[in-house]
Amino acid sequence: MVSIHLRDVCLDYPLYGAYDFSLKRRLLGRLFRQTGEMRTIRAVDNISIEATAGARIGLAGPNGSGKSTLLRLIAGVFPQTRGEVRIAGDIVPLLGLSAGANLDFVAADNISLLLRISGRKATPAILDEIWAFTELEERMQRLPLRMFSSGMLMRVLFATATAFPADILLLDEWLSVVDENFSAKAETRLQKMVETAAIVIIASHDHALLRRTCTSIINLDHGRIASTVSLDAPAPHHFELREKRA
Amino acid sequence: MTTLNHPAGRPSVLHIFKVYYPDLFGGTLSVIRDICAGLQDSFAAAVLVCSKSGARRHIVVNDVAVERVPSFGDVLSLPAAPTYPWRLWRRIAEHDLLALHAPFPLADLVFALGLGRTRPLVVHWHADIISHAALRFLIEPMMRRTLRRAAAIIVSNPVLIENTPLLREFADKCHVVPFGVDVAKYDRPAVQSGDVNARGRLVLACGRLVPYKGFDVLVRAAHGRNFEVWIVGEGREHDHLEQLIRDYGLQDRVRLLGSVPESERVKLMRIADIFVMPSITNAETFGLVQLEAMAAGRPVINTALDTGVPHVARHGLEAITVPPGDPTALAEAIENLIDDPERRRRMGQAARHRAMTKYSTTAFKEGVETVYRKVVAEQAAAKDANSPAPASRPQTAGLFGAIQIAAALAWSDMRHRYVRSLLGPFWMSIQMAIMVAVLGSVIGHFSNAGAVARLPMLAASLTAWTFLNSVVLDATTALQGSASLIKDRALPPVIFLLQCTFRQALFALHNATVPLILWLALTPKDISGALAAIPGLALFVTCTLAMSLVLGALATRYRDIKPIIESSLTLMFLSSPIIWTPEMIDRGSTVMRLNPLTHLFAIWRDPLATGHVATTSVVYVLACLAVLVVASLVTVSQLRKAAFWI
Repeated sequence: MVSIHLRDVCLDYPLYGAYDFSLKRRLLGRLFRQTGEMRTIRAVDNISIEATAGARIGLAGPNGSGKSTLLRLIAGVFPQTRGEVRIAGDIVPLLGLSAGANLDFVAADNISLLLRISGRKATPAILDEIWAFTELEERMQRLPLRMFSSGMLMRVLFATATAFPADILLLDEWLSVVDENFSAKAETRLQKMVETAAIVIIASHDHALLRRTCTSIINLDHGRIASTVSLDAPAPHHFELREKRA
Repeated sequence: MTTLNHPAGRPSVLHIFKVYYPDLFGGTLSVIRDICAGLQDSFAAAVLVCSKSGARRHIVVNDVAVERVPSFGDVLSLPAAPTYPWRLWRRIAEHDLLALHAPFPLADLVFALGLGRTRPLVVHWHADIISHAALRFLIEPMMRRTLRRAAAIIVSNPVLIENTPLLREFADKCHVVPFGVDVAKYDRPAVQSGDVNARGRLVLACGRLVPYKGFDVLVRAAHGRNFEVWIVGEGREHDHLEQLIRDYGLQDRVRLLGSVPESERVKLMRIADIFVMPSITNAETFGLVQLEAMAAGRPVINTALDTGVPHVARHGLEAITVPPGDPTALAEAIENLIDDPERRRRMGQAARHRAMTKYSTTAFKEGVETVYRKVVAEQAAAKDANSPAPASRPQTAGLFGAIQIAAALAWSDMRHRYVRSLLGPFWMSIQMAIMVAVLGSVIGHFSNAGAVARLPMLAASLTAWTFLNSVVLDATTALQGSASLIKDRALPPVIFLLQCTFRQALFALHNATVPLILWLALTPKDISGALAAIPGLALFVTCTLAMSLVLGALATRYRDIKPIIESSLTLMFLSSPIIWTPEMIDRGSTVMRLNPLTHLFAIWRDPLATGHVATTSVVYVLACLAVLVVASLVTVSQLRKAAFWI
């Protein structure tokens, strides 16, 4: 059922300079036969990935190798320039943790809004469960997020983002956000989420983490697949997600 | 979230139907009542129905809580209860299981919209829609959606699955549970097997007096014969039947008894010699009443319908089956039985035996309970399997999902605008009131006409302009403002452009209190003009929405467009008849005639003021709208690239 199918996919990322955002410049440029060509960079170059239920794929590679762009392409944020993309299943992209949080709103409203954004309805029971996970005081639910310390904010956002399981889970350098005191609990939750998701794709610089979590690692370089390493299924007992901040 | 809404003890089931005791009596109702009573040890039942009695909303019938949604009467055999879908939607979350007694299109409406997905649904298929077949094309897609969403479908007879195309599509979820009858209720103090009146000629029929029951056929059959016919029941055909009886001169032999209490009906079943069920359409799917007659040991005459009817009481064994709608065949069958007391006795015994063995209340109860339990267990399993989630799928896909998210975002925007303001919603309205007052007094000096009489229109125009202006301005920055949601959460960019219109529409509703109050206070109330303005207003909003999509995307792609849009809006405000009216200047001015805003305002303002609108304005606006729609479609297809721009 759940599957990801990419064939010969390319993505040309347009590089908009300051002038490229100007209609006036564009029209004038055309008038005076200046270079009409938009500069682009090939962020994803001829990549084919087949993944079915059970796949845990790690994306590794230096900065700018196209990890995030590839994840966004799978999530449907960027359209491919060439090639074929077929995705079956619900995608939960967790590419940035704080995405969508409004610091002026109270915590409970933020949670409901974030749930609505992912297409879920926030019932009081779900809200209570998320709040219980944060281990914060009950009355803080009614405080605006800007009064929260960064650690507390992290707890709320983490608990909300991971409250529901996903068919396809896309994580971008995401495991590093777990803070020390909260980590044991967050680890189990993430582990559970990774276990229940049919397909997980994690982009990370931490090879040790990828090796622990994934069944295969794709090394990217300049948007191309440099190598693919197949790993045995990770041993769940040694599952550890804490990552040292690099 | 594994323990969501699981009260200790029995799971609760909500029965959904159009009507319930004490507003009506009938086969389907007694089935619902029997399910409620029979399953009360394992399921807590509640009933949600309509009622035109206007009596109390919440009543208790046989220990079951019944909520009756007010209805204005029946339209096309459906209760006209506009709030029913709303109430149903609100009630769904309170229960663990939904039991829909179909057909009931009002409830299908709720399920077809995809509401209440979180609770499992069992459909009791009582009948197909037979009357008003012309409207079937409207109802059928909804019924199909309901059935697709249902976890199980319960039918009374396997024939129904074969003969109903809609059910055949979902044959794998159909469960056959024949209705049951409590035979003991029909025991007489001393049941004698030879309990047949040798000269008996009393024919009994029971049911609501509605056309499909075919009682007119029975009345016609009595013509020129010598048996007696008693018909029990009430309904809208009563007058028609009475007229028919008079026309044939059968007053002495054919009697309409009206509705009688159940105990009386049992007695009537016992003293009758033959029970007739002359139903003429497939709306009669089972014929619970013939089963009661069988329990009372009566021979039955039924009709050869494509439903369970001839399978419950079988031709030659417990019944004589005649073609539906054939008075002669019916009369002959009745006379045959009257002339043959031995056959009546034999058939009566066979009927009672069949009712007792094949259609027991216990079997019915257990059948329904098994299905209910299975569905509830499956739901719980699905919840456990992907704990901590409910079994529902998230709804982010498609336009509907996008609109939902945009609406939720807009609603939250509006709520949070009040967070730190004491006056809350009225703050915006007060701003609008001040603006109207100041501008109104200034304009008053321009023209000699009464400034006060102009105020309502000025307020309405300002409200509309504020809406258009804010939507377009919001749209130019909306995508950049939501960059992280678009790039990190992969939400479709169109959501945030829709959000602008939704949010400003909510704000405009607040502002609209000012023109509304002025209109109520200062002008003769002419509702027809206001009604005539509605299509124009809808066009206005649609144009604004389309404009925000196009300009919002353009301003995101080309950043130098935003200042152009801002200054154009100011120019438009001054050059269009918003705070002034066309009458104040020369109406024929070319700029005025070419300015699309003139017409965009005219199409709803003119009906309000004068009751009619110039054709040129309508044509002009429709042409603009056509262009905008095409541009919007192009924009939406280009919005796939919006993530590159922000």
